Amino acid sequence: MSVSRDDFSIAFRSALLQRGGAQKFSILSLIILAIFIFFLDVYGFTIIKTARSVINDVVFRISYLASSPSRILPNASKGLTSHFNLKKENEKLKQVIKNYKSLNLNLEYLTNENKNLRKVLDAENIINTENIINSKNIVLAKVLIDKNSPFLKSIIINKGTKSGVKKGMPVTQDNFLIGRVVETNHFSSRVLLLTDLNSRIPVSLGPDSTQAILTGSATTNPKLEYLPEEYTSENDITVFASGKDGIFIPGTPIGKTINDSGKKINEVKLFVDPNQLSFVTVNLILINKEKF
Amino acid sequence: MAKLNLLNKIFNAGPLILLYYLSISEVDTNLEKMFEIFTFNLPIIIIYFWILKKPSIMSTGHIFVAGLINDVVMGFPLGISSLSYLVVCFFSNYVRNKSVNTTIASDWFTFFLALLFANTIFFSLLNNFSDIAISLSKIGYNTFFTLFLFPIFWLFFSLYQSNFIGGQDA
Repeated sequence: MSVSRDDFSIAFRSALLQRGGAQKFSILSLIILAIFIFFLDVYGFTIIKTARSVINDVVFRISYLASSPSRILPNASKGLTSHFNLKKENEKLKQVIKNYKSLNLNLEYLTNENKNLRKVLDAENIINTENIINSKNIVLAKVLIDKNSPFLKSIIINKGTKSGVKKGMPVTQDNFLIGRVVETNHFSSRVLLLTDLNSRIPVSLGPDSTQAILTGSATTNPKLEYLPEEYTSENDITVFASGKDGIFIPGTPIGKTINDSGKKINEVKLFVDPNQLSFVTVNLILINKEKF
Repeated sequence: MAKLNLLNKIFNAGPLILLYYLSISEVDTNLEKMFEIFTFNLPIIIIYFWILKKPSIMSTGHIFVAGLINDVVMGFPLGISSLSYLVVCFFSNYVRNKSVNTTIASDWFTFFLALLFANTIFFSLLNNFSDIAISLSKIGYNTFFTLFLFPIFWLFFSLYQSNFIGGQDA
């Protein structure tokens, strides 16, 4: 009996403390070091924050390079096909530009009408529309890493504090909201996607501007929560950011509702597929909360 | 002779290179796009197998650094992946010290305990001490599929070991 207990303690001690050969450090010392670093990082010590920011910048660049083969190979076949279809595509694009031009005229008319109505309502100070359109307030960023983690849904972009990116700024693609900046480094930033479990966004939907919270569910489609009790859900209703949190620009389109009556869950199908992001825009505006 | 030596070194470094590559690159073992709940943790299988069979090719220092890199890329607090990797390392070391010869079944069972313990530490530290929330069901699926796929990788790595690396460490 005592022999087996001795065996156990010897094996246990040896597993924790053994060194030699390729093992330069004992497991126990590394475990203590890992716990120490974890708590330093979690409690936000300045040294770790700065170190992490530098490490992030370096690792993200290396990671981008390391992932390039996996990015290039699937794209190579696509590139070849698209090269042969170039002429067709060109004609299609010309048609699309024509359509956009006509839409632009409509937009101009609507913007003017909107401005006039705002003047009438004396609510100009809520948001400066020109500010949003102003391209100086928008930074185009390339997606460096979109490692599809099973636990966190985020992407790394190649713009950081050097380009004026700050924590909390909204990130869009083709003017559709995709997430917000949650971590900034000098040359890179992390964007938390709308599908992440930690994402919560105030939204409005429907003709009577129903307010709700769009919650990430770690699946493809985020869900609508805190809807009014009497609310009857419908399909195909566009969901916009309400801007109540002072972070997102009011009226930024997000997606359309899909209602599965069997599941009784109000899901939103996003306009932008979060798995297909290559370039995004960061809106360098931090809107203040509305003052009453 | 020198060429053979170099080849041997490359083959010996294979598992470590794979571990680093999985930590740093976008290539991952998260196949959610194909099947919504299918994710598994290949680094943990690699660490467990190679520490058990050939610890001389997988140093704990490298495992620690790979964990830190993984944290940076994934956006977790620094040190949490290292900690869960080292826990697996400890279990594997213990099993190696206690047993003379192991079978796929015994390895599978001890791997289950190591994985359960490592993921419990990972989940509880993250949920109790950081602002990041992760879903318990995701961790559950990840644990299940990692455990489920262990024998396949065990066979694959055993083949690699017998063909390119050689016998078990003493």
